[in-house]
Amino acid sequence: MSDPVDLREFVSAFVTEAAEHLEVANSKLLLIESAARGGQPMLRHVRDVFRALHTIKGLAAMVGVESIVTISHRMEAILRTADQASTALSLDTIDALLEGTRAIEVRVKQLADGLPVGEPPASLVLRLDTLDAEPEAATRAITRATRLDPAIAQKLSAAEHEHLATASAAGQRAYRADFFPSPARAEQGFSINRVRERVSAIGELVKVLPLSVPATEHAPGGLAFVILVVTSALPAQLAAAVGIDADAVIALDAEVKPEVAAESDAVEDELIVNEPARRGIVRVDVSRLDEAMDRLSSLVVSRFRLSREAVRLAERGVDVRTLQTLLAEHSRQLRDLRAAILKVRMVPIAEVLDRVPMIVRSLRRSTGKSVRLEIDGGHTELDKAVAERLFPAIVHLVRNAVDHAIETPDERARRGKPEEGLVRVTCTEHSNARLVLSVSDDGRGIDRETVARRAEVEVPATDAELLDLLCRPGLSTRDEVSTVSGRGMGLDIIRRVAVEQLGGELAVSSVWRVGTTFTMTVPLTVSIVDAFTFECAGQRFVVPVAIVDEIVEVDEGVATRLAGSKGNVRVFFRRGESIPLLPLEEVLGLGVERVGARKAIVVRRAGEPIAFAVDRMLGQQEVVVRPLEDPLVQVPGITGATDLGDGQPTLVVDLVALGGVVRMVRGAAA
Amino acid sequence: MADVLVVDDSNVMRDMIVACLRSLPNLAFTHATTGLEAIERLSLKKFDLVVLDLNMPDVGGIEVVEFVRAQDQLRALPIVIVTTRGDESSRTRALDAGADRFMTKPFTPDAIVAEVQALLASGRPTT
Repeated sequence: MSDPVDLREFVSAFVTEAAEHLEVANSKLLLIESAARGGQPMLRHVRDVFRALHTIKGLAAMVGVESIVTISHRMEAILRTADQASTALSLDTIDALLEGTRAIEVRVKQLADGLPVGEPPASLVLRLDTLDAEPEAATRAITRATRLDPAIAQKLSAAEHEHLATASAAGQRAYRADFFPSPARAEQGFSINRVRERVSAIGELVKVLPLSVPATEHAPGGLAFVILVVTSALPAQLAAAVGIDADAVIALDAEVKPEVAAESDAVEDELIVNEPARRGIVRVDVSRLDEAMDRLSSLVVSRFRLSREAVRLAERGVDVRTLQTLLAEHSRQLRDLRAAILKVRMVPIAEVLDRVPMIVRSLRRSTGKSVRLEIDGGHTELDKAVAERLFPAIVHLVRNAVDHAIETPDERARRGKPEEGLVRVTCTEHSNARLVLSVSDDGRGIDRETVARRAEVEVPATDAELLDLLCRPGLSTRDEVSTVSGRGMGLDIIRRVAVEQLGGELAVSSVWRVGTTFTMTVPLTVSIVDAFTFECAGQRFVVPVAIVDEIVEVDEGVATRLAGSKGNVRVFFRRGESIPLLPLEEVLGLGVERVGARKAIVVRRAGEPIAFAVDRMLGQQEVVVRPLEDPLVQVPGITGATDLGDGQPTLVVDLVALGGVVRMVRGAAA
Repeated sequence: MADVLVVDDSNVMRDMIVACLRSLPNLAFTHATTGLEAIERLSLKKFDLVVLDLNMPDVGGIEVVEFVRAQDQLRALPIVIVTTRGDESSRTRALDAGADRFMTKPFTPDAIVAEVQALLASGRPTT
């Protein structure tokens, strides 16, 4: 009857979408938690969490991941009960739910990595199963917005009524705006989904209800959507978002009572959750972008060949001027395309920082310290590859700050500091190219003398010297030092990420008993290239795949020594071409030449083939190239350095530029 | 050619449903990501069948069914509910509201193809 459809093909799509829903669930649960501490129920977020988990459960069932179904099913039941009964979630329940989202996260990750997905943790299932129905029933009197049509009012839940009625307490107002869909309005960008997005951007959408109306020219579908919103925006702004006249916006609450401070705002401020604007966003697997980049690389290679052919034609006396113009144009287009693909890889910094509140939250619980987190992420965008490498470093710095720098509440009180410690993460963009990210705390600061004594060196005079000292692996892994000095472990690793992997900088400034700030400055993009790794004279190198013509096996004993040459330039023949062969170790001055079967990497310089003999090809991988900016280490033929993941800098050789050396040798030989 | 409206707030779920139904000939698919969008589309264009999720923001599947069945011109529109909410009360509510079929996730590709085929073949007038 039908071609078999294997729903397991949807696993990677599931992984991407589940991650999105988990992000929503986590950030909403954190909002509910901080609100619950302030005694506010935040019922409207409960439904969002419910919906996120419900969707995860359904998808997990379709792709057959039972353990995620089991966990999300239990969480969903708790949330549905709370939503239907309009009860507040207790802190214990919220905690259990957060444990649940973590357990799902772990399993989604296992699925993504192709690992077997673990069973649901028995302790978690038991915890979720035995959470009592919330003890506090909603006994609070629900205030109802007065100016609402009874037909509409009866369709609202208690939480929605409350949301509308308490708008004025938060310095906002509740409005009703009716939207009449029609094909003509849809063409102008006014469809219900778009209207909903636009209204959400300027206020809190309480409810949208469909309403049958007589079909008229104004309402050709016989349909109106009643939009109920709480906002501080002006009626005219709301009208513009819905696409109606300002006088069609109806205020639902008569008077504004500004005497109550906006408690909920204060609570939400604690976790500045920059909800990324989701309008028109397509989420794609990074591997697809990498694939596009790969395709582009091969395009660049074939362009190389094309221009070589053009040169050959010119040599035969053919007029290639038009062809040359076209090729130049083509080059520009390729560069533009490359820039366009790189732009697609950019992600908002908020996406990275959104996960920090979760970390601080769990640290708060594990250390028992009272810590406030402030995040100022701005709207900077950075390459996904940078973001992925940066995140662990941020986690490390934040963890160190809470764990080691912030004092216990007692100690803080003794020092005359507020009992609640402060950790601040700020991001700014510097001249469109670099991201300056700092993690600061108002903790105990670093005791330079103790650090120096432990390291058995003199007290560092500058912050730079202090950082060098802190980055000594031997020093920073000793935990008692970290507790005394106010700094934890792994700074050497952070510096390696910032400096060696990303080509940036790490700096520290610290005042004893006042606080410490670590600042990472990293490029917003890194150049990532597909490269061959190889070994020569006991060292590893990488060469970009795009410049390699081919890799061949050569026996140097067989290759003819170039007559009259002083160095070790040999020649071998391949497809009727004579190719000069140079031992790379000799070009780089790394030692004696080896004789025997070796690999030769063939590149072309201005159409001429040149081969470099190397010892062994190791493989092909994507590397992040860090340009060598220090003028003292700038060597022709070395374009940069990279970290292959072992912490050792590996040089990126530009064999085409090195070919210039051969030219000179050949010139001398001729 | 029959026009099918697939309503689910999960992109992946909509793709799965369409992948399952693609084996049936002469179907054209339109996606709606919310219950609101479903109502909007149904009010502006004629569809031959709706595949509808229950759990969506603002207006859930059951409310969509209730709204649709209250409209004269949509009274006979075939509706298949596809939901994770497999409990008996959801089923009863959905069928009482006027849904024609009720399927729970996970479903097999063959199962949804069979339901949709049966509904389309029953030749219920859709105007």
